Amino acid sequence: MPRLVSHPDEVKIISRRFGQGAENLDKYLELDGYKATQLALEKGADWIIAEMKASGLRGRGGAGFPTGMKWSFVPKQSDRPKYVLVNGDESEPGTCKDHLIFLHDPHAVIEGTIIAGLAIGAKMGFIYLRGEYRYLLKIMEKAVADAYARGFLGKNIFGSGVDFDVVTQTGAGAYEVGEESALMESLEGKRGVPRIKPPFPAVVGLYGGPTVINNAETIATVPHILLMGGEPYAKIGSERNGGTRLFGISGHVERPGVYELPMGYNLKKAIYEVAGGVRGGRGLKAVVPGGSSTPVLRPEEIDVGLDFDQMGKAGTMLGSGGIVVIDDQTCIVEFALRTIAFYQHESCGWCIPCREGTDWLKKTIGRVHAGGGVDKDLDNIRYLAENMMGRTFCPLGDAAAMPTLGFIKKFRSEFEDHLNGKPCPYARHEELVGA
Amino acid sequence: MADVTFTVDGKKLTAPAGTLLIDACKAVGIEIPAFCYYPGLSLQAACRMCVVRIEKMPKLQTACTTTVAEGMVVQTETDEIKQARKATIELLLGNHPLDCPVCDAGGECELQDMTFKYGAAESKYVEIKQHREEQQWSPVVFFDRPRCILCYRCVRVCGEGMDVWALGIQNRGVSAVIAPNGQDHLECEECGMCIDICPVGALTSGTYRYKTRPWEMTHVATICTHCGDGCKTTLGTRRSNDGMEIVRGDNRDKSGINGDFLCIKGRYAFDFANRTERLTKPLVRQADGQFKEASWSEAIDFAAKRLREIRESKGGQAIGVIGSNRTTNEENYLLQKFARTVLGTNNIDHHRTVDYVSFAAALAGKSERTASLRDTANAPAILLLGNDPTEQHPALAWNLRSNVRLNRARIYIANHAEIKLRRQAKQFLEIPKDGYASLVQYLAGNDSVVAANEQTAAFRDAIRKEESLLIIFGSEFRGRDIQALVEFGLSLPNTKFVLLGDYANSRGAADMGLLPDTLPGYVPVASAAHFADEYGAVLPQNAGLDLLQMFDAAQSGNLAALYVVGSNPVTRYGVDPAVLKNTFVIVQDMFLTETAQLADVVFPAANLYEKAGTVTNTYGDIQLVKKAADKAGVRSDFELIVRLADRMGADLKKLVPFGRGVRADMGQTRGAQSGEADRHSVWLAAHGLEPKLSPFDPFATLDEIQRLVPSYSFSRLELLAGSDQHAKSELVQISAAPARRDLVLPSQDTLFTSGTLGRYSDKLKEVLDSHTTPKPVEAAAD
Amino acid sequence: MSIVRNIAAISKGMSITFKEMFQPTEVENYPDGPGPTRGAVLQDRFRGAHVLQRDENGLEKCVACFLCAAACPSNCIYIEAAENTAENRISSSERYAKVYNIDYNRCIFCGYCVEACPTDAITHGHGFELASLNATNLVMRKEDMLVPAVGMPGELAAHSDSVK
Repeated sequence: MPRLVSHPDEVKIISRRFGQGAENLDKYLELDGYKATQLALEKGADWIIAEMKASGLRGRGGAGFPTGMKWSFVPKQSDRPKYVLVNGDESEPGTCKDHLIFLHDPHAVIEGTIIAGLAIGAKMGFIYLRGEYRYLLKIMEKAVADAYARGFLGKNIFGSGVDFDVVTQTGAGAYEVGEESALMESLEGKRGVPRIKPPFPAVVGLYGGPTVINNAETIATVPHILLMGGEPYAKIGSERNGGTRLFGISGHVERPGVYELPMGYNLKKAIYEVAGGVRGGRGLKAVVPGGSSTPVLRPEEIDVGLDFDQMGKAGTMLGSGGIVVIDDQTCIVEFALRTIAFYQHESCGWCIPCREGTDWLKKTIGRVHAGGGVDKDLDNIRYLAENMMGRTFCPLGDAAAMPTLGFIKKFRSEFEDHLNGKPCPYARHEELVGA
Repeated sequence: MADVTFTVDGKKLTAPAGTLLIDACKAVGIEIPAFCYYPGLSLQAACRMCVVRIEKMPKLQTACTTTVAEGMVVQTETDEIKQARKATIELLLGNHPLDCPVCDAGGECELQDMTFKYGAAESKYVEIKQHREEQQWSPVVFFDRPRCILCYRCVRVCGEGMDVWALGIQNRGVSAVIAPNGQDHLECEECGMCIDICPVGALTSGTYRYKTRPWEMTHVATICTHCGDGCKTTLGTRRSNDGMEIVRGDNRDKSGINGDFLCIKGRYAFDFANRTERLTKPLVRQADGQFKEASWSEAIDFAAKRLREIRESKGGQAIGVIGSNRTTNEENYLLQKFARTVLGTNNIDHHRTVDYVSFAAALAGKSERTASLRDTANAPAILLLGNDPTEQHPALAWNLRSNVRLNRARIYIANHAEIKLRRQAKQFLEIPKDGYASLVQYLAGNDSVVAANEQTAAFRDAIRKEESLLIIFGSEFRGRDIQALVEFGLSLPNTKFVLLGDYANSRGAADMGLLPDTLPGYVPVASAAHFADEYGAVLPQNAGLDLLQMFDAAQSGNLAALYVVGSNPVTRYGVDPAVLKNTFVIVQDMFLTETAQLADVVFPAANLYEKAGTVTNTYGDIQLVKKAADKAGVRSDFELIVRLADRMGADLKKLVPFGRGVRADMGQTRGAQSGEADRHSVWLAAHGLEPKLSPFDPFATLDEIQRLVPSYSFSRLELLAGSDQHAKSELVQISAAPARRDLVLPSQDTLFTSGTLGRYSDKLKEVLDSHTTPKPVEAAAD
Repeated sequence: MSIVRNIAAISKGMSITFKEMFQPTEVENYPDGPGPTRGAVLQDRFRGAHVLQRDENGLEKCVACFLCAAACPSNCIYIEAAENTAENRISSSERYAKVYNIDYNRCIFCGYCVEACPTDAITHGHGFELASLNATNLVMRKEDMLVPAVGMPGELAAHSDSVK
């Protein structure tokens, strides 16, 4: 089990039960487990949605869509069954928050799923883990089995007369199924490619039924919000960004790990105080603030609050909360290559700009890094990325183009240093490359 | 749905709500390019070529997934959009080989067109392209992987359209590749739709590949000679040493009755026409029993002289005539006229694949009761009794599948086998092979005839609840069973019927009176006065010998001559060759078939692709046949009959009413060599100036058919313009089906066979051989 | 003024004439001259009888794309294409010209076919002695126009195959 980290600035809500053995149901019940569910059963759907709206909770997957509003979009009446879908396909490089939730607090996910189901009137929930998290599936499966054994799931949960079932499932190892409609395709047993929208999942989702799909962290937060109340939760964070969030700080820092910080917490502070600063006292070269798909920040740009709106103003995105810190001895071209190689490998091949674009970006950046670059390559990289932006079928193309554009715009001189047969002038950090 | 008004490129347009933007634009001539979009298939939005700018939308939107909305303002060709499309093409060309000079699609390639339009001529990459070897997936399908742009059209048309699901995608990202279901080969129906629909040259045809270029061919749209569906097939022909050779069959303009569809036979099985063992010189049997090549005039004189002698010595009743299921209506009509007026006999028959006479009798006087093939694609409810359309009527099967997929049609199937179409059926009932008549009685309300259970009851209830029903049935129904089925159908509201027979013109053969007891239009031979007046001849009043009786008569020495046109009854009916040893046999055919081998005179005949005329498919849709190919040395059956009649001393003006009207041969009978003239003939027909010059002009005979057969009164202009015309069953002059022998012999063809003709197609044989390795059909299709 | 201009123009023209008049006489001693052209002097750009080229491996360059036939204004090129097989490889691509005929009764030596050729397979040679008393001799087949494979790797390979 990975070592947990902590810092006094943390506000522990989601991570409250981490490290306390809450994967055991009895222990979980001791730590206020399933109280939120019973409260929700008592007060009903409208109350749940009202509390969620009051909490200002925004989707933790990266897009930041208000959760309460998402739930209210699901039609009340539906011919087909409604579903709750938990997106635990956490594949964004630099992100490892859901992993800890599944590991330390699996029942919070189950509880959140039940509450979401109550809110929209679904009778069934699916918890979908990424293919590489197969070892976490055992923990989740045991948690689900325990909950069934106690009557928390199945027919007539908590004696309320309401039925709710939960099914767990893993993917086959594709980043692409982190996209909600691709995840549904995968769950239905098909090839994991996204669907055409509209219709949106809230109207036509899994097996054609109205579906709410939320990130695992979002779902795990839900029981805590109900217990503490929506408004108190909202007050913790910054304006229009309620609550706390798990930030995974990785890369060249002294104390890498997952920290639960209030929304709007200063990024510079998070790196230099919470995570202990750049490792070995080196200088900072760049920060990728929210998982590999977000545009990179230069050191002078990091004095910014970690919430959806402030990051947007800074020209980047909060994303999945995976902060990657890059020290001054890292080659940005190699980092860009490593990033684009990931997206090239993970592109599903559905649409032309992503399928071909990621491949040509990888080839061109790779050649530049290897010293085979020519002048027009830099403009060409930018041209390719610009022509992928907003042209692809799903956001994966944007996710590949955005960081590439960031690298080439903000670190163009480093790319130029590689041109015309020059070998890489920057020290290589095997740790980062291997990460 | 209600109409909405929107603006595209400054033009105000109106279209029903729910129309896709790309379709709405196309309807008014604004072409939005797309690789992956294909009308009727599921939406893909994968190629990103159809991006357009819609006001108030942050990003470029795909026109293929956007439905039109009130007040929408759209730009389709701004600099931004052109740039987006250019960038997409640049990406595609990054790995696409530039082997256009050798690629089969060069000249008709959508990627090539788009590259010229958007000008992505300069390569931005220095890396070498990935090359992979070409693969052969089946005798008719080849795959050149580097050329593939992954539009998934083939995958969708195979899965959604054909319900075969033989193609899929392997790997992901840039390694994604279209792959066949059988590891390295296709296990499918070999329809070739994937090749047709491929926008580039990735999928190529086993018959056409690397033979020629698109612009080198003459393209003639004519009717397929194989099954009873009568699909339009566009034959690409090329000059060869002995005429015009067919090098490609495809479905180029989609204007035919078959829409998008064409099956293996229409696409590949034209190669019989190019076979080297085709007869090109008349053969006359010598005293030593050997065939000897003869000149046309020798052979015709010889045959005519013998026929004349026999007619004069023994009378017409000693002569038999057997017609064909693949000759044109005009030839069939002429043949029966020749038999009845020149030979003076009613001994005329053909291979009956289905009982059209009983069907015509059952529907006599009822208007609008027969359905066109087109109706099967949009009828709301369909009852299919017997037959296996997937094997025997592929276009019908396609229509039924599309109808279910696109219009949510309800299909009810009762069959003695688990036919593949049951997968589209709302209800499927498996019944015993001899249980069709009882089922109809049960449906009509008689509970005692079948072992009724919940399933049968549900089946009956559902059918009776339908407000409009199309009943399609096969050769399992004959005689009184057809009568009973039609009676049951007529007890329901808005019922239409289809009887499924085999071969291109089986229906036409029956309609044109290639039967011993009925004249054209199913007029009984006993009431032939009308025809006798028109023909100016005395017609025999008694029913003649049917096909089997002719061979019986031959055996007993009462049949002195037999004239076989484009048919192989010896094999089909298992006739003992010895039966014909004292009969003078004349055969007109392409090949020395088993029947032709017994003949005294053999005339090399042209096939349906080498002549002009009309054919009637089994639904009663009459279509124009155009001359596509040409072969030196062969003559059309029409010409042969006329020449034989001439040599027998008949009055040609009476036989073929040519020479009325304006005398101008605009060459419409020649088809391939005179595309211009075809258009002239449309104009001439519209002004009542139809050309009728030559006694070999089938359209002169069509005039007479239209005069004498009321059900064939249709617009000649529409026909010549290439539209299909539906025969009017209510005008059939028959009161009740005469009691007659059941001679129906279904062809039992599969997708890969086509009677005697199919045996002469190398491609069909090759495909058949590749499919005879043990393989459960259903497993391959699922 | 116009008279002066006319006189100037005429004298300019005549000056060339008079200059050439006193140059030594040059005669192309065709057909009795030396060399393979028998004395005829041909410029590089001269468009004579066509030559079909081979690539460095001795394979035919022509891939039977029909573009020359499409470009030909006098419709004198006739091609029949066929597919290469592993056993019988004629050109380097999938397709080759099984039949390639040029009808010199009709050819106007415009060079459009050479322009159109994507593989530089058809070129104009310097052959000009094409006259014949029999028009049927003027249809040249591929074998008549193809450069010989002597000394080329393909020819050697073919030879060694035949020895086996």
